[in-house]
Amino acid sequence: MAEDKLSTAQVARIRRLSQPKELTPDEEGGELNIVPFLDIITNILIFVLATISVTFTATIETQPPASGGSGVRKEIESKALNLTVLVGDFGFSIKASGGNVAEGCSGVGPGVAIPMKGGQLDYDALTDCAAKLKGSSSDFADETQVYISANPGTDYQTLISTIDALRSTRQGDPLFTDVNFKVAK
Amino acid sequence: MTQAAAAPKSTGASMAKYKAALRRAIRRNYHEPEINFLNITAMLDIMTIILVFLLKTLGESTASVPQSDDLKIPTSFITSQPSMEGVVVTVSKSQILVGDDKVMTLPGRQSLAQSGVGAQYKRSGPNDLYIVPLGNALQAARKTDKLVRQAKGQDASMSEAIIIADNTTPYRLFIEVLFTLGQNEFGKYHLMVMQKKKGTG
Repeated sequence: MAEDKLSTAQVARIRRLSQPKELTPDEEGGELNIVPFLDIITNILIFVLATISVTFTATIETQPPASGGSGVRKEIESKALNLTVLVGDFGFSIKASGGNVAEGCSGVGPGVAIPMKGGQLDYDALTDCAAKLKGSSSDFADETQVYISANPGTDYQTLISTIDALRSTRQGDPLFTDVNFKVAK
Repeated sequence: MTQAAAAPKSTGASMAKYKAALRRAIRRNYHEPEINFLNITAMLDIMTIILVFLLKTLGESTASVPQSDDLKIPTSFITSQPSMEGVVVTVSKSQILVGDDKVMTLPGRQSLAQSGVGAQYKRSGPNDLYIVPLGNALQAARKTDKLVRQAKGQDASMSEAIIIADNTTPYRLFIEVLFTLGQNEFGKYHLMVMQKKKGTG
């Protein structure tokens, strides 16, 4: 007849057998160690993100250049401002439907409308002048086209900066967003 | 549990009682297995997809403009998205390319500013704006682009060009390139620039 109480050997055996089994690394489901791979991927990802953040590009739309005042320019109403900016060695010369804009962007007259300032082209003054000319009549409010011409040696960056200066006011309001290039005969 | 059968029978409780006690002890000690490693497989999948997407986008886009001493594109405040449509015409300090094909080598900047690429490359003398080697390359590009546009159902009466020019390119050469493009039924140009923020000079 067996006794009611568990013997010491039985208790010890139960204690030993009831302990949860520790799995050996081989039995843990065979997980692939992908941590080094993840490190590489993360580094490449950060590198790519950092690289593209400094190489954002944009495009400025334009059309074939017009020669001597003719060309592919859109039909403009007779009451148009017809703004033309010439990038020269002494500054920006500006012509509008009323004639040549005088120095200081003050009315019609001879001279360079926006002279050099400290040996540099004055883009801020060009922006202000373009805004002033566009605001001079309500007829010009919807006009967005501008002709740009330059001396043969004018570099491309200067052209782009001129386009920037004419695109919007200092407050960000649009001015002349459609750019056409002109070839002086 | 087979070891339970090997429990001593001669002394102690009965086999049934021993097994019941063993089951109780096992239940008492049982606990859910701990997750002792982070399952990062899903995150890895996402990151790999993002990486592949970014690399593919960059590779296909015109945003991947190679910058070198020979070609530094100008900076602009414009914030519009770069256009992807069109034949790429690259004007560096030393050469002109249509797509990846070199069309011609350029003379020095002084000469370019005065008379463009030179009379030997012009149709009718130094004052002409048409660059013959570039025109020939553009004619071939136009034929291909025309077929592509027709196949896509787009307006094939004219093509578009993406112009990637060095920031020191003289206006004279720039106009010659635009003029030659216009003569070869390229009616819309996208001037590639690098975006900059206001106040960064």
